[in-house]
Amino acid sequence: MKKISKLSTIYLIVMFFILYAPIFYLMFYSFNSGETMYQFESFTLDWYKELFGNTRLLIIVLNTAIIALLSATISTILGVAGALAIYYARRRRVKNTLLSLNNVLIVSPDVIIGASFLILFTMIGIKLGFISVLLAHIAFSVPIVVIMVLPKIEEMNTSMIYAALDLGASRWNVLTKVILPYITPGIFAGFFMALTYSLDDFAVTFFVTGNGFTTLSVEIYSLARRGVSLNINALSSLLFVFTMLLVVGYYFITKRNNRPNRLGVRQ
Amino acid sequence: MKQLIRALLAVLIVSFALIVIVYRLNTAQGYTSGNTLTIFNWGDYIDEELIEKFEEETGIKVIYETFDSNEAMLTKIEQGGTSYDIAVPSEYIIDKMREEDLLLPIDHSKVPNLQYIDSRFLDLPFDHGNKYSVPYFWGTVGILYNTNILGDREITSWNDLWDPDFKNQILLVDSAREVMGMALNSLGYSLNDKDKNHLLEAKQKIDSLTPNIKAIVGDENRLLLQNEEAAIGLVWSGTAQEIMWENENVEYVVPEEGSNLWFDNMVIPKTAKNPEAAHQFINFMLDPEVAAQNTDYVGYSTPNIEALKYMDEETVNDERFYPDEEMTAKLEVYENLGKRMLAYYNDLFLEFKMHKK
Repeated sequence: MKKISKLSTIYLIVMFFILYAPIFYLMFYSFNSGETMYQFESFTLDWYKELFGNTRLLIIVLNTAIIALLSATISTILGVAGALAIYYARRRRVKNTLLSLNNVLIVSPDVIIGASFLILFTMIGIKLGFISVLLAHIAFSVPIVVIMVLPKIEEMNTSMIYAALDLGASRWNVLTKVILPYITPGIFAGFFMALTYSLDDFAVTFFVTGNGFTTLSVEIYSLARRGVSLNINALSSLLFVFTMLLVVGYYFITKRNNRPNRLGVRQ
Repeated sequence: MKQLIRALLAVLIVSFALIVIVYRLNTAQGYTSGNTLTIFNWGDYIDEELIEKFEEETGIKVIYETFDSNEAMLTKIEQGGTSYDIAVPSEYIIDKMREEDLLLPIDHSKVPNLQYIDSRFLDLPFDHGNKYSVPYFWGTVGILYNTNILGDREITSWNDLWDPDFKNQILLVDSAREVMGMALNSLGYSLNDKDKNHLLEAKQKIDSLTPNIKAIVGDENRLLLQNEEAAIGLVWSGTAQEIMWENENVEYVVPEEGSNLWFDNMVIPKTAKNPEAAHQFINFMLDPEVAAQNTDYVGYSTPNIEALKYMDEETVNDERFYPDEEMTAKLEVYENLGKRMLAYYNDLFLEFKMHKK
């Protein structure tokens, strides 16, 4: 590999500093015994203690986790099916249309998606709460999973499928023994993407929460509006650390899956 | 494939475990008993100890949610799909909600404590006979200034703000009616004025204020003024009180030309699930001792006459927050301008914000 020049190293450092400085600034002040972020008085863990003593907040954190896990799982299943459908679409026109429709959902603004869900749910009479948030999260995660899984399918060598069919495999066998094992890394990548999207989504969730059910990002927003308590810093720091753990976990899973000499067929 | 199934099972087991934990926590907290009251209020607008006290007294479990603007609250209630038992909108929104038939009438026989409310604050134009709403807090719009920065300069009127000495010192709030109202009042017009010539004149007047304006901000004005980042601010009286608790060098004044008098009232939205508990809660909040404690915490002015007896004399006699009859006569309540006029106010305000400094 070519050596990275000094200039680009400096550039990298500056960029990462700019990106991470606000987060670390915020984390730093979560240990402040003073009331504001204007000056650091002394070190304390009081804000964290206050957080863990708050049952309501604990319920919200757990709700957020449940929504994230369930919506990521369901949207992964739907997304894989969708990706396979796009892959198997015979005519190029249909394929491109399907793919574009999928991409439009990814780039369209969250606010619009959220508002339209609010209108839809109230129109068909779904109470705002757990179900409405779950449905909305599944809906915006599916296109992401499709995008993550599709390249993996495209990169698969079609002769493998023909070979399997030649050897007498049924369609179901081809799916479970050839295709799915091959695209497993893509499926996991899609799952983790959906998970992080669901965990930190604010705009869509904001519209469809109600009746006492909220998620963490919506709660942080309303806490911040109420005034600047360092509670928020503590909560955000925990969230950041948790996301970091997810990223690290994802890294190890993909590393394990990318071991060389895999032919794509598993027992 | 095995790997995928294993992962799927793991995720499902974890989710199921979490659901059980949440259900347990909810039950332990009493949120599933059915006897709950959902309150939709402004952020930091109630002493949370009072919610606990209400829960203890009545056995009703309170779910407390907050909103940050009247409009956000209105959208959630209009759309349905929610079931708030109590909401606390400002007066001009109550007018609108009443027109759109979004409110349940309040049964006065279940709210005997209504007798403690100052008659000045009952039977107002936005809700004659208080059929749908009960006053929660009221206040004014005025000027907050820092004597530490300005020395012994005193500000008594809106027109004082145009003094060239205050270059780059003023923080305005990002709200069309407050800023336009300030300009209209400074010209001696009503802040509900619908005469377009008057409005254009007002717009020109605030344009000429731009050299003095440091920024047009939202809720963060509290911290900025508290930390002396700016000397003068256009603020609501409650914000002023909060800043004064933190910083001794500030003064609040209701300008002599007149200003806005506003109310936040408790209402019961049409979608309420537990109107019985809502009535109980309204009556509870009107109890003089409770109202006094809440006022101590929130810092806005209470409409409850009896509550004043339980409060510091110093606070009650403070004319900045409890103005006398003569001053109140100059204060005006915002009237519902109608959609088109309101849009015109907003347009002028937007143009002012784009005005080059």
